[in-house]
Parts: sequence; C-alpha cells; structure tokens
Amino acid sequence: MAEVRYENASRIYPGTDIPAVESLDLDIPDGELLVLVGPSGSGKSTALRMLAGLEFVDKGSVYIDNEDVTLTPPQDRDIAMVFQNYALYPNMTVQANMGFALKQQGVPKAERAERVREAARILDLEPYLDRKPKNLSGGQRQRVAMGRAIVRRPQVFLMDEPLSNLDAKLRVQTRTELADLQARLGVTTVYVTHDQVEAMTMGHRVAVLKDGILQQVDRPRTLYSHPVNLFVAGFIGSPAMNLVEVLSEGTNGLRLGSLSLPLDEQTAHDLAARDPGAITVGVRPEHLRLGSEGIAGQVTVVEELGSESYVHITVEHQGGPLLLVVRAEGETMTQRGDNVQVSCRGPVHVFAPNGERIGA
Amino acid sequence: MSQQTDRAEQVKRLQRREGWRRRLPLVPALVFTIVVTQVPFILSLWYSLTEWKIVPPEPRNFIGFSNYVDLLDNRFFREAVWTSIWMTVSAVLLSLLLGTLLAILLDRKFFGQGFVRTLLITPFLIMPVVAGLVWKTQVFNSSFGVLNWLLDSLGFERIEFVTRWPLWSIVSVLVWQWTPFMMLIVLAGLQGQDQSVLEAARVDGASSRAMFFQITLPQLRPYLELGILLGSIYLIQVFDYVDVITGGGPDSTNVPYFVFQRSIGGGWQFGQASAYSIVVVIASIVIATFGLRVLSNLLEGEKP
Repeated sequence: MAEVRYENASRIYPGTDIPAVESLDLDIPDGELLVLVGPSGSGKSTALRMLAGLEFVDKGSVYIDNEDVTLTPPQDRDIAMVFQNYALYPNMTVQANMGFALKQQGVPKAERAERVREAARILDLEPYLDRKPKNLSGGQRQRVAMGRAIVRRPQVFLMDEPLSNLDAKLRVQTRTELADLQARLGVTTVYVTHDQVEAMTMGHRVAVLKDGILQQVDRPRTLYSHPVNLFVAGFIGSPAMNLVEVLSEGTNGLRLGSLSLPLDEQTAHDLAARDPGAITVGVRPEHLRLGSEGIAGQVTVVEELGSESYVHITVEHQGGPLLLVVRAEGETMTQRGDNVQVSCRGPVHVFAPNGERIGA
Repeated sequence: MSQQTDRAEQVKRLQRREGWRRRLPLVPALVFTIVVTQVPFILSLWYSLTEWKIVPPEPRNFIGFSNYVDLLDNRFFREAVWTSIWMTVSAVLLSLLLGTLLAILLDRKFFGQGFVRTLLITPFLIMPVVAGLVWKTQVFNSSFGVLNWLLDSLGFERIEFVTRWPLWSIVSVLVWQWTPFMMLIVLAGLQGQDQSVLEAARVDGASSRAMFFQITLPQLRPYLELGILLGSIYLIQVFDYVDVITGGGPDSTNVPYFVFQRSIGGGWQFGQASAYSIVVVIASIVIATFGLRVLSNLLEGEKP
C-alpha cells in the first residue's frame, strides 16, 4: 500500500533529443487505480517502466511511499508488474511461476505454497497449478500473470496493457474482474492501455499522454465532459467527438452553417473577448439530433449497434463536405441516402487554434 | 435438393498429384545421395561379413559375424573405443562450457562487439588439417612451439606435449576449433530469450545469479542439448586431427583412425575394417536419432 509520485520525471532515450516522457508530474494516492492512456508512442509504457525501474529516469524523480526510488534497481522496489505478453517463465509450472518472487525473498516453502494456493483460488487457477504456461489458454496465462503479481502483496501493481492479447469478449469480462480485484485488494495500481474504453471503464482517474507530455489527469467523467484541449477531446469518447473548424464572430456566438450552436455563459464571454477568427468546436454524437430543423445533410452510413445507432451524415461546410456523427435510437428508420437535418442541443466544446479549451 | 456428391476420391487424387509435384524435383538429389552413400554402405555391410585381405591378395570368404565377434576380443579395438569416447566426451563438454561462457560475454553490448565476435568465430573456419598442423608445429612442438617458448622463458623445462599427452593434445585442438560452434548455438539461444521474461524476473526480485540459473539456463537447455549432439556426431568421426598431430599411437588412436590403420593404412584387412566402421555408423545413428529429436523439439518450441 503506497502512494506513487512522479516529480518532473523525464526519460530521454540515448541517441535522441526528444524525450519519450517529458517532465511528468503525477501524484497517485494510496489505493487508486490510475490509467495511463495515449496513442502508440505517447510514452505511457515508458512512464510505467520508469516506475518499475526498467527504464532510467534522466531528469526528475520517482517516489514510492514517499521514498525516492529514482535510482533503486527494480528488484528492490517492491512492485509487481503484469506484462503485455505476460512474460511467464516458460520452464516453470504455474505454481512455480506464481511463487518465484516469494522464493527470491526467501519465504519458506510451506508459506509460499499457501499464498500461491490462495491467489490461485481467487483467480480460479487451482486446477492448473502443475501445468506449464504453454499448456494454458490465453485467458489462463493472463490470470497466471495476475496471480504472480498478487501473490507478492506488493506496494504497487504495474500493468502494461495486460488485456490486449485477449479476444474482445474475454477482454470485457476480464476488465471488470480486474477492476473488482484491484478494489478488493486496495493496492495502488498504475495501468497502461491504448484503449480509451478500457481507460474510462477501469480508471479511478485517467492520465492522457501525447508525445511524452501529460495532457490531462482527471476522473473519467470529467475527462469526457471537460477535455482541456483538442487532443483529449478527440481521443476520449467512442465514436469520437465531432470536431469542426468554424469562424468565430465575436459576440454573435457560433454558427455551423444554418445551425446556431448553444454556448454556456462562460464560454460565450471568453469567446467574445477574443479576436474573431478560426476556432474549433466539438460536439459529441449524443448532443446532436436528427429532426426537422438545423443543418441539412445526407446520410452516408448507419452503424446499428442494437441499443443505439450512429448515423454518419455529410453536410456542406465552408465549401466542402463535412462528416458529422449523430447518435440515434436503436430502432432508427434512417437509411443511407436519406436527406436529414441535424440540430445541436449542446454542450458545445470550443478550442482555440493552439488546441486549448476556451471557456469552462 | 441438390445431390451431395462424395468428393473423397477426387480429393485423394488431387493430393497425390500435389505430393508428386513437390517430390519430383528432389528425385535427382535423392538418387545421387543413394548412389554415393547407401551403395557403399551396403557393400561395407557385405564386406564386414567376409574375410578379405588384399596384400597378399586372397579370395574373399564369407565368414558370417566372426568379424564382429572378434571385435570384442580385440584389445586394440577396445582401446580405440575408449579413446573415441574420451576424445568425444571431453572435447564436446569442454567446448560447450567455454562456448557458453563466451556466449554470455558476447550477449552483452560492448564496444567492438562485432569485431570480437568475428575473431572468436575464426577457429571454426580453419580447415581441420591446417588447424592440426598449426598446433602441432607452432604450439606444441618442443623446439619451435609457442607453449615451450613460454615455458622456457619462465624458466621451466621444455615438454614434448604431443608425446607426453597425445589424447589431451588432440582434445585441446578440438576444443579450440569447436568452442566457436558451441558459442554460436548458445548465443542464438541467449538472444532468442524473451526480454520481458528477464524483466519480469528482475521485477520479481531475482539476483543476476538466480536469473541465470533459474531462468536463462533452463531455457538454454534445448540449445545445449543440440550442441552436445551435433558436436558428438562430428567429433566421433574425427580422423584428420589424429593423423596430423600424432599419427595414431597409444592413447590417441580412435575408432575411425583404427579403421584406417586396419584397411588402407597398412593392415589391408578390409573385412575387419568394415566391421569396425559399421559399429561407428551404428553409434552415430543412435546419437543422430536423439539429435534430430532434440532439434525437432526445439523447432516446435519456437512456435507461439
């Protein structure tokens, strides 16, 4: 049980000038499940490996339980890590895999066996204790990797895309099991994923990284409703937010063609204070509506998911075609080729040309 | 309803045709191999059942398994077998040990790694006869050898190594030549290791020692076995080194050299010599069978 803290931590790989992780400042309280999310190359895995001690910290510091571990080798950090490919020891049985760390600590054999059995019970691995990893299915291997981590009762769990090698259905199921397990054990966990759905569903808080720079850390809902910049707005949410470049007319509010975009007071105020010019507005698919008013367009694709459907509509904007995604009822009658009208009920996110959010 | 046709017969015919299309290009090579290896082998089998002397020329008599029975009583043959075993086992194990140590060193990154690796491989590229001659005349030799020069300059007496330790002289040349081979096999094993498994072990608190003995070495096992078996198959039939370095003689005549001595090397007993060589072939086949099994396990293990 411990708090984890990154202080201005940077990692610059030898032979490059651009840091893989730049001045990361992150405070993870005891017991939290923090998800690091970002596209590939965003430095999320590097940040995790810096905490594990598998990557050097070139600038700044890393703390576990208020102890500076920046220069501590991985074996002395009391952390457990789950790797993307599970990294099970191929020559050892499940039991030996799970007990390996305890063996290194010199835990007596009887206690070791007891703790391995306990973890195996939690993870439904009891029938497989004597098998070798190659005789296990993907899901079972994943659980062995988890088991290897929890047997240790470490201060921190580190998970590097632990679900990405599972098939879609198993991934969703394991996702909830993992979140539940973490909550029960109450161990501080840093979880890396490129999948924003995984991040949103699992994380107590989510840290979004891009090009090695931390963009925003917040609770999933805040991240969704108040993205601090264009990148976070586009990255979080599936399907992605509709982002459209429009011309700001100062005090007259914003218009998308014939469609007037509702702005809250603070945003309208901040926008009025700026010079007129091109800005980007973002509207989530569920905040657009098909109806008898608004901007006219033609349906190009209807994605029917059963409970809801996403209608892709091409409208004309600034002399070119523009694709909008609108969420509609599951039993929508809309078809490809229909002429429809789209209106907006807000909220509308507004971003300056440099990507920063305008307004609240 | 459309009628369901049974395609089994047609499928079988297609498969057969496909099979021949693949085998056909291999046939010339197969015929050649049979002519140059299997035909002489069958003739040897036949000769081994006869008494056949060329000098002075005598007619060939069929004597059944007498040659094989006599083998067991032949003291010189038994000695040759022991020499073969000693030579093979010690050369294989020593070169494997040295090769593993060198491979572990080469597995780390350091300046000039490629250059050092090339240098270390060089002994394997030298012709066996040349290697034997170089060692005999320039290392072991009591007048011109480097070793004796070293002993001399340190104030020790000169030693005629080859005369004093004929077996170990040959073994040291074999080890020198075969260490690079073992090193390459083990290096392939080391570099084929999953890095994340090693990282996992570090996070799990393993010391470098524990990592080597509990993670790396067990994973190297198939590679070590492969090295042992390939090495054994090659070294059991060593002939050139013996011929060049000691020219036979007590303690250094292995079975292949003994076969040579008994046949074209002056004995002219082709029947007996054939029987000896058949024994070597059988031993090699036994080892090779194990070797191939290990090899196939290794290849299967690499499939994810």
